[in-house]
Amino acid sequence: MQRYYVLNKNKLINFLSFIQSRSKLAAPVKKGEKSYAFEYITDLEKIALHYLPTILPVKKYFLPQRETLIEFNKKTRKTTHVIEFEELTLFGVHTCDLVGMQCLNAVMVEDPKDINYLERKNKLTVIAFECNSYCDEHATCGIMRTFIPSSGYDILFTEFDTYFLIHIGTTKGSEIVNESRLFDVAQKEHFDELNKLRKRKEEIFKPEINASYDELKKLMERACCTGAWEGIFDKCLSCGTCTNVCPTCYCFDINDDIDLNLLNGCRMRTWDSCQNEGFAKVAGGENFREERKNRQVHRYMRKFKYPVDKYNMYFCTGCGRCSRACVAKISLKETMNLLSERIKL
Amino acid sequence: MNKKTIKHSSYTLKPAHIIETKYLTDDIKYFKLRFTDGTDLDYTPGQFVMVSMCGVGEVPISISSTPTRKGFFELVIRKAGKVTSDIHSLKTGDKIGIRGPMGRKIPLSTIEGKDLIFVAGGLGIVPLRSFIDFVLDNRRDFGKVEILLGCKTPEEILFKDEIKDWEETLNVEFNCTVDKADPKWKGNVGLITSLIPSIFVYPERTYAIVCGPPIMYKFVIKALLEKGIKEDHIILSLERHMKCGVGKCGHCQIGNYYCCQDGPVFFYHEIKNNWEAL
Amino acid sequence: MKPKVAFFDFACCEGCQLQVANFGEELLDILEVVDVVNFREVMSENGEDYDIAIIEGSITNQHAVERIKKIREKAKIVIAYGACACTGGINAMKNNFEMPEIMHYVYKDDAKYFDTIPTKAVDQVVKVDYYVHGCPVYPKEFVDVLKCVLQGVEYKVPEKSVCTECKLNENECMFDKGLTCMGPITKAGCNSWCINNGNICFGCRGFVENPAKNAAIEVLKDHGLNPELIIKKINMYNTVLDEKLKKKGEE
Repeated sequence: MQRYYVLNKNKLINFLSFIQSRSKLAAPVKKGEKSYAFEYITDLEKIALHYLPTILPVKKYFLPQRETLIEFNKKTRKTTHVIEFEELTLFGVHTCDLVGMQCLNAVMVEDPKDINYLERKNKLTVIAFECNSYCDEHATCGIMRTFIPSSGYDILFTEFDTYFLIHIGTTKGSEIVNESRLFDVAQKEHFDELNKLRKRKEEIFKPEINASYDELKKLMERACCTGAWEGIFDKCLSCGTCTNVCPTCYCFDINDDIDLNLLNGCRMRTWDSCQNEGFAKVAGGENFREERKNRQVHRYMRKFKYPVDKYNMYFCTGCGRCSRACVAKISLKETMNLLSERIKL
Repeated sequence: MNKKTIKHSSYTLKPAHIIETKYLTDDIKYFKLRFTDGTDLDYTPGQFVMVSMCGVGEVPISISSTPTRKGFFELVIRKAGKVTSDIHSLKTGDKIGIRGPMGRKIPLSTIEGKDLIFVAGGLGIVPLRSFIDFVLDNRRDFGKVEILLGCKTPEEILFKDEIKDWEETLNVEFNCTVDKADPKWKGNVGLITSLIPSIFVYPERTYAIVCGPPIMYKFVIKALLEKGIKEDHIILSLERHMKCGVGKCGHCQIGNYYCCQDGPVFFYHEIKNNWEAL
Repeated sequence: MKPKVAFFDFACCEGCQLQVANFGEELLDILEVVDVVNFREVMSENGEDYDIAIIEGSITNQHAVERIKKIREKAKIVIAYGACACTGGINAMKNNFEMPEIMHYVYKDDAKYFDTIPTKAVDQVVKVDYYVHGCPVYPKEFVDVLKCVLQGVEYKVPEKSVCTECKLNENECMFDKGLTCMGPITKAGCNSWCINNGNICFGCRGFVENPAKNAAIEVLKDHGLNPELIIKKINMYNTVLDEKLKKKGEE
């Protein structure tokens, strides 16, 4: 399979039209001065090719904010498991968000498998867009080593002055490129450019935290039950924003809805957050994570410790969303730096 | 959005009939269930099921019967929220949706031939009853069996008839204490930990199985360790908020563990260093 | 038998009842499952035989205390409907003043002719079975509560903040727009209705359970609000909840 192609920049619009002829298209659009969001695209002009990480990561297409799991009828007592899905192409997925998707994959393929997630994922086509420089000061993709795309895409776009270099990740990606007839096979000069870019990126993206990649987990282990967190989360409002915008947070709540006749209804899952007051509360009233501070420590453990033990992956993609979106300005970078100052490894 | 349906998934419900029900106290009700297709629930003591009231919700409920008795399974449910209240309205003959069994199947061979101490605080007796009846159905496979029960008041003691049976016919030492006695109460008054020092144990061959309110564990474990019982001989059943039961939704997480998959039954040595467990 | 429903209003603007009248087609579905026997705003009959009493408004004088007690005796189920009924609403702002002071401010020399007491939420006078928060109520939540009433089960107000729902709706954050918003410490359940429509959250549903009040004050200060305005912003809908939190803290 030919893996590298070139698309002339002036043909991008043709390519996206071609995509639209095959499936629905979602891509980043501008929502406010610094806010972007992935949205269904009808008007290609609206696509923001260069954008700050979107408010919500693309996980919303894999694990929607609200999703039906079961439909039931109280009279016939019939219950059916349903899967909602759509043929959709995501265009412009950032390098960090690719990692987020891989994290979710690791969780959802683990037994018992999450069929809804996996089925929906099968119908999605991912066209990634490599970041050539930092989006802003919140990103920590340097230390998380998520600035070079490795996998998780069907097609990868890397931008150069007059063209995009295309890398094919899957057979599906190859088919799209071939069918579109818009691409040329990449030549040596293109690879040279790519190598140069990647080298330049190694210079641009440097660890943003005063600890090494491997030390992050150790930092968590040492900090966990100590006073190292003192004061860091006093500002936390427990609003739940940091988890909702996180590309690797997947916790959900399950609730029933029924029509007014109390006959037909459904069981739905909705994103939930470990920062919410009721998250770890049991029916008897005991709240196992009553203190706001502990909820935040738990969040950090779920990014830098538990998934490393379980999946050998950090569940932080360095996208910076949690810091960017926090109204109390709690920054992941500052938190980790403070911990590394306070904890001698 | 397109939609398709599938036959079996982690979330599909299996219908069961209620074949018997009775109130044990004002807000605690007993349910005997049988799957409508006649199959048995393939479970181990310590496991739980998700019970569904479509339109209202789903709750995790520990299984209170022993798998040695076939053709049914039993749940004992306290009215604590909207789903459990709704379950209480069910009568014999009604149908209910079940998912499960959920949770880890602990290898019962580890406790075979051993002396056992059951320590139950309040409703903790409900899941422990599954272990107790399992042991009693295989009475000769086990050594000395001691049951310690602590309740707030004498009225809160569940399974009074069965307790009598355990004591009289099955060679079980039963000790009970209440926080607050009434005039008729002749037994111990005080916390459950007060019962532990006076029991006689051979630490090497004794396993303790503990279930009760969260506050109880630390103190009971301390008392058991003081008795010389080893850390890997203490078995604990922990309660957490559960929504999916399949290790995804995140509510029941205890440090590195998902209570619904890795528990709810744990050996003490597995969780003693877990910052969120006890 | 369809349950009989009666609407009653106390100190309020009746805007929450207007929400029901504005339901459109969904109202027809509701009328399929309940009988409305008393609803001053839309009908002339006023039946006194009812199962469900829907109370709009807060309790602000002795007469209202007696009246709500009588309603409670008759009704099987009482629903506190709207911010005024659930939390005292904006009427409770007066509780931040001494009674004579605020009475003089409003009524001047005629104050002596008016019987008034510090504003109370309905549940400070009688037992309340269901709450529909909001100023005004969010229609979908009212329907959700109604479904719970019909099923005979409790309705649990989500224990999360408006921010949670707002993020799910992927709105641009008001703080990013240079505005301030009460979303972070306000009870969810409205599906971030106001923000979806370009407004900030005023906190009309009241505090989340266990609000991080001090941290919220710091955030608002940080975004340029002066302390006095912050307290007023918080008090607008939370005076009674604040009283309750203080009492709980003292216990």
